[in-house]
Amino acid sequence: MIENGFNRRDFLKVLGWGGTAVALSGCGNTSIENGKETVVSYVEPEDYAIPSIGVYFNSTCAQCDAGCNIEGRVREGRVLKLEGNPGSFINRGKMCGLGQAGVQAHYNPDRVREPLLRNGSQGETLTWDKALSLINDKLNGVKGEEIAFLTGGVSGHVKVLLNNYLDALGSKNHYAYEAVSPSVVRAANKKAYGVEMPRLRLDKAKVIVSFGADFLGAWVSPVHFSQQYAQFRKGNRPEGRGVLVQIESKMTLTGANADRWIPIRPGTEGILALGIVNALGAGIPADAVAAAKDYTADRVSKDTGVPAEQIIRLAELLKERSPSLVLAGAAAEGYAHGSQNAAAIALLNQVLGNVGKTVEAPANAQFAQITPTTGNRAALRSLNDSMAQGKLKVLFSYGANPVYTAPDALKLQDNLKKVPFKVVFAHYLDETALEADLVLPLDSALEDWGTSIPEYQVEPHLSIQQPLMERLYPNTRGVGDILLALLKQRRADEYKAYEDFYSYLRGAVVQNKAALGGAGADDDAFWNETLSNALVKLPGAAGSLSGKASAVGLTLPAPAAEVVAYPLRLIPSVSASMRDGRHANLSWLQESPDPLTTVVWDSWVEIHPKTAAKLGIVEGDIVEVASQNGSVTSQAYLFPGIHPDAISMPLGYGHEAMGRYAKGTGVNVFKILDPVFDKETGELAINETNVRISKVGNRVVVVKEEGPNGGSQLGRKKIAVKVSSDKVDLSKEV
Amino acid sequence: MHRFLRLSILLAGMFSAIGSYAADAPPPLTTPDELGPPIEQPIEFPHMRHAGLHNPADDADPSKPATGGMEINCMYCHTYARRSMVAGIPPLRKCIGCHQSIESVRESPRIKKLFEYWDAKKAIPWKKVHDLPDFVRFNHERHVQRFVFQQGRPVQEACGYCHGDIKTMTVARRQKPITMGWCAECHQKDHPVDATSTKTTHGPNDCFTCHK
Repeated sequence: MIENGFNRRDFLKVLGWGGTAVALSGCGNTSIENGKETVVSYVEPEDYAIPSIGVYFNSTCAQCDAGCNIEGRVREGRVLKLEGNPGSFINRGKMCGLGQAGVQAHYNPDRVREPLLRNGSQGETLTWDKALSLINDKLNGVKGEEIAFLTGGVSGHVKVLLNNYLDALGSKNHYAYEAVSPSVVRAANKKAYGVEMPRLRLDKAKVIVSFGADFLGAWVSPVHFSQQYAQFRKGNRPEGRGVLVQIESKMTLTGANADRWIPIRPGTEGILALGIVNALGAGIPADAVAAAKDYTADRVSKDTGVPAEQIIRLAELLKERSPSLVLAGAAAEGYAHGSQNAAAIALLNQVLGNVGKTVEAPANAQFAQITPTTGNRAALRSLNDSMAQGKLKVLFSYGANPVYTAPDALKLQDNLKKVPFKVVFAHYLDETALEADLVLPLDSALEDWGTSIPEYQVEPHLSIQQPLMERLYPNTRGVGDILLALLKQRRADEYKAYEDFYSYLRGAVVQNKAALGGAGADDDAFWNETLSNALVKLPGAAGSLSGKASAVGLTLPAPAAEVVAYPLRLIPSVSASMRDGRHANLSWLQESPDPLTTVVWDSWVEIHPKTAAKLGIVEGDIVEVASQNGSVTSQAYLFPGIHPDAISMPLGYGHEAMGRYAKGTGVNVFKILDPVFDKETGELAINETNVRISKVGNRVVVVKEEGPNGGSQLGRKKIAVKVSSDKVDLSKEV
Repeated sequence: MHRFLRLSILLAGMFSAIGSYAADAPPPLTTPDELGPPIEQPIEFPHMRHAGLHNPADDADPSKPATGGMEINCMYCHTYARRSMVAGIPPLRKCIGCHQSIESVRESPRIKKLFEYWDAKKAIPWKKVHDLPDFVRFNHERHVQRFVFQQGRPVQEACGYCHGDIKTMTVARRQKPITMGWCAECHQKDHPVDATSTKTTHGPNDCFTCHK
């Protein structure tokens, strides 16, 4: 409180005069100026360059691993806006919000601009020559197995250089780590279909039953699936308008679009899948019948909380309308028995006869050295163990932020300190870069050369990433250039022909032009054509699906018993914008409201209204969410789209570093996760954390786009009427 | 004490208001045509030499318009004006394109300076003479297309509506007020639709046309 301060009347007077002053002075340049600013003309312009007219260049999006092909509008040498590349097989001219924010990743004010060397708690700048020779010095006398390279998912020629570099160092320790990845589903697919990522034909299915696969939001290749989904929803296709049923404990964007959203007790997705197999009745393979014989509708209903008639109706629907497509996503795989859940769901697909119809074989990959290496959590765990045992002397890190994304229980930050020399390739000073001894600043994705092959491929192709403009900061380098420079330290003879990564890339592509459809073409013409398209088709023989989902070895545990001390299940949610938090410092993404809650610039705790009423929580209450491994506090948001036994918090917020927009915005849910892992793949079971929530005492106004009554439309009565699920007659609906 | 403090804050507010208003007031009118201040450019570019009339017979008569020019079309150098929102300053290569073969002036101080920039491959930092506020979008292409190509007016006349009689100047100097009222004044006049038509129309008067 201000004592003896102005009274209200005086305050208003000052405010009034101050306002007048501001109004009179105006802001900035409000009338024509003469001779103040300079206008800089071109010295030697390209023929196509006309000031104020944009030119489009194709490239590849690096915002997520879907690898969409994009085009950037470039005007007067600056990239202004990104669009989808119409020639793309993946996104066909469309693009998502995360991709649009790519320009902000490029123009971000918090990018690292100089190589930094740790000096106590500070970083001091050094030249690139010194930085690279320092790495060389530190590697001398270190054995191969004491060196490790941590990356996100990698593919293309950067992967080739990376592997060659590790090979030159005599190291086999490449750890590919993605904090949020469908690795359990990959393993289950590998078993059931013989490939990790079969081609999914949402557009051919008459019914899609998705067990928590958020294919419209954040799952695998959302822009591609959204387009397939649009086809799926068209009434005029031969199959008729498709029906989407989404089964998950926490509503995702896909769930919000579904015809029927079925909340399920967390972790019982596999049981429901077998319940549907059981309810299908006659005409299915004997082993499936045997595996599912105990899963009667009543029992499954008791375990999963899904009404028995809904299970039976769902089975009828699937029988009536074939082909269908059953998907397993994050909600089903994030458990200790996640692999079993995914296997049960794959079995359902097999039983329904969808394999070969809506689950197709991808083309066989050629050029194995550039095919994607996907990441998972198991890699991080084994890296963490090696570090804990002090086995590593030098660690490189590129495209991963494990200090932020690892649960506290892994003690990764402490273990990292046991590595004497850590080099981080960084765009921003994120949590991992702050732990580094040497930080190498990277070019943004709009300044750098590269190639990539996305994990989910429609047609086999190599996407080219090319600079859309010159470097903003002279002392950043492309990751390929850095790796090439490091390789030259070890294998100078082999790489001396390549002046930089560009010449290496050009050489590698042009050398294989015959295989890439450019047989007999002039080198320059072929290369220019490739750059102009920014993608080139790879040869690919038609693949086939091997393997078979079987009921053998399928054992599903009973639903988890309630833990008295921690009665609620925490379901961390992956949003389309935030993903694993790698883009939390892009203000557009912070500002774009979460599709379901419309909250901006903060974390929140989604609680079912019934659960909240029991606990006496209302919207805006600050609550503490405590697990066995830590606690976070955030604002409560009451949301009917969640199972009453669960709460949900978004991932990606709560950075301690990484720039002005990320730091301190929201809380980091990764930290409090229990270290429970999927038994087969070793993936972190992200939904296996039990928590308790308690009010802390404060209450805030939740900053969100929707109105105070949760979507009442400007005071009008609600359009959508809530109907409790036991009153819904599905047979009349679809 | 507090009363004194209040008074001083009020006075400070008033003075800053008046001060900032005065600082932002338009410059005094110098001519009826509202001539802008002379602007010093890195090279004193002679527009009259390039765009001026070419009639050697009139040279002796001082009452005749400035001559000795080359009558180069405005759009030869400001080539973007008919293609783009901005007229564009000609690229350095364009200057050199001609001047590398004009030996007679090769040693003159301005041309020497020009070649210094060219040898260093550095752009010349020209000063903007007609710098509209950022909330105004003026489109050169629309005006040049309308008046030069559709109505067939002489280029120097069309450009001169806003830029004045450039062919008589060395470096350009603002000749017209270029305020919103001045723009609107012309937009309200009826113009023939094209060179042959008897139909007339006036320029768009929507706010959104310029303020977007």
